[in-house]
Amino acid sequence: MAHRVDNEYDYLFKIVLIGDSGVGKSNILSRFTRNEFFLESKSTIGVEFATRTLQIDGKTIKAQIWDTAGQERYRAITSAYYRGAVGALLVYDITKRQTFDNVQRWLRELRDHADANIVVMMIGNKSDLNHLRSVPEEDGQAFSEKEGLSFLETSALEAINVEKAFQTVLSEIHQIVSKKALAAQESASTNGRSMQGTTINVAEAPTNTKGSCCSS
Amino acid sequence: MILCRKDYLLLRKHCLRKSVYSNEDRKQSNKTDGANHAESVSSEKGEDTVSPVGFEVPDNPSVEVEEHLISEDGNPCVRSGEEMQDDTSKTSPEMLMDGNQSSSSSSNKEESDNSVLTHEEMPHKDATSVQQPSTEDEQESIPRYSSAGGNMENDSELSKDARPVKSSRTVEDFETWQRIIRLDAVRANDEWVSYSTSQAAVSREKAIESAKAVCLKDYEHLEPHRIHHASRLVAILEAYAIYDPEIGYCQGMSDLLAPLLAVLEDDNEAFWCFAGFMRKARHNFRLDEVGIRRQLNMVSKIIKHKDFHLYRHLEMLQAEDCFFVYRMVVVMFRRELTFEQTLSLWEVMWADQAANRAGITKSSFEKLRLGAPPTDDLLLYAIAASVLQKRKLIIESYSSMDEIIRECNSMSGQLNIWKLLDDAHDLVVTLHDRIE
Repeated sequence: MAHRVDNEYDYLFKIVLIGDSGVGKSNILSRFTRNEFFLESKSTIGVEFATRTLQIDGKTIKAQIWDTAGQERYRAITSAYYRGAVGALLVYDITKRQTFDNVQRWLRELRDHADANIVVMMIGNKSDLNHLRSVPEEDGQAFSEKEGLSFLETSALEAINVEKAFQTVLSEIHQIVSKKALAAQESASTNGRSMQGTTINVAEAPTNTKGSCCSS
Repeated sequence: MILCRKDYLLLRKHCLRKSVYSNEDRKQSNKTDGANHAESVSSEKGEDTVSPVGFEVPDNPSVEVEEHLISEDGNPCVRSGEEMQDDTSKTSPEMLMDGNQSSSSSSNKEESDNSVLTHEEMPHKDATSVQQPSTEDEQESIPRYSSAGGNMENDSELSKDARPVKSSRTVEDFETWQRIIRLDAVRANDEWVSYSTSQAAVSREKAIESAKAVCLKDYEHLEPHRIHHASRLVAILEAYAIYDPEIGYCQGMSDLLAPLLAVLEDDNEAFWCFAGFMRKARHNFRLDEVGIRRQLNMVSKIIKHKDFHLYRHLEMLQAEDCFFVYRMVVVMFRRELTFEQTLSLWEVMWADQAANRAGITKSSFEKLRLGAPPTDDLLLYAIAASVLQKRKLIIESYSSMDEIIRECNSMSGQLNIWKLLDDAHDLVVTLHDRIE
């Protein structure tokens, strides 16, 4: 089958980029996947995505990153794309306080529509505009600690911390997956059931309890 | 015409008066001035029903600026602009009372409506004349023009702490629209420059003046012509958000307006032209997604009837809802086509819609052997055609909807508009009986 051709990776992780309009989600994506930046990138209509394959902890990981429209109006459409996502980058703009204040709402959005175990990283973007800053880094730090999120300030324009942000999220996801796979193997061997090799999609594991056979 | 201008200027004044955004800006950027301005705004509170003549808006240079923008342009698109303006004339109270007749009304009716409109003063409109566009009426409908007046009454409360408590999926307010409009305006590109040499050559002073008139900020990095363009986008989109509060502003609308601005140098003309354009396009931006669903469904039907093999493949990938053409539908191919291609496609599309309105029926078209009969949905046939052009690739190489989305999103710059229209017309000829 055709889809085997593109299968040269150990894991495929789906990540969503969310946050208010104009915080720089699309540029974070283009910086990470193509090393490009456009000062005048247009607003995202609906969803777009790009992929990049990289090595994390000795494994080949294909990151499929979904970039979503920031405007509330599009949320009904974009939230459909949270399904199956194992990671989320929640982006705000350090020069626009309101985009930081809205982070709470985006978290609620994730709670409502994404998998409960999704790995979330909060990102304060546009750190190159330090002279216009209206959200102190400590505020971001404190909030993320309170909510149990990882946190980084990035600059898509100057390519600062973008790579690190994705690496961190992907690595965290990979660790969870490895643990789960291990646990699954152990339980499989103790239960004497045969299991599939690798779990491609962590998020679906808990929701995807293909039910009845496992209940006994 | 002149009185239409009055309506537009009135909308602009309302934008400035209810502009929480600009008040905040002023307070931030100039504290002493900010207090004065806030005071003047609050003193205007309750004056919403003042007649246009009696209007006095302090600190408001917009009227002056807009008058400067008036030009005797003889550009080729004026005609379509006038046609559209006729359309907007249907926003008269009679038509509002009688919702669904827009496409069948005669030209006589339109003329008389036009004169009705010119006597309208929007804020005076009685709320009882409001007819909500019904959810089924998706083709073309009239914005709740008069309700804008009603809304304005509450503006000052809405913009303060009296705002209703909102659920997690909120209804956006004017302030939010203003913020996003500005965001989109300053990042609009300048593909249009070759279409309007006068706008391309605007002086820095004039550009800054127009930016100030709409309280635009964050434009320092832009060249004068782009500042000017961004300011016009803000002025018209804000006015539209007041004019059609059910839709307000949704990202993508600036994509639809930008080409009109390039060919219409007068803000008033551009506004009414845009309002006419939006009568159909507004359904793309509705919160309930009815308009989008209908159109995606139609693209799906076209593909199903034309190419069942491809359709089966899409079904297999659970992509038969054609969600992958979402962006093409919402902004009418604007993102996939160059500026010039967009103008060509839209003009062909509008010509078809105008022919439909003029009552050129399909049977008479066939009798005359004129090829494809006019359709209101040429765009959707063109979108389906663009997908069908990739059928081989989709069937042979793509095994998930993700890949098709990526394919569609990367069509930018790849399309041959004339081939696309030929294909679309072929589809119309063979399928319109079964689809529409």
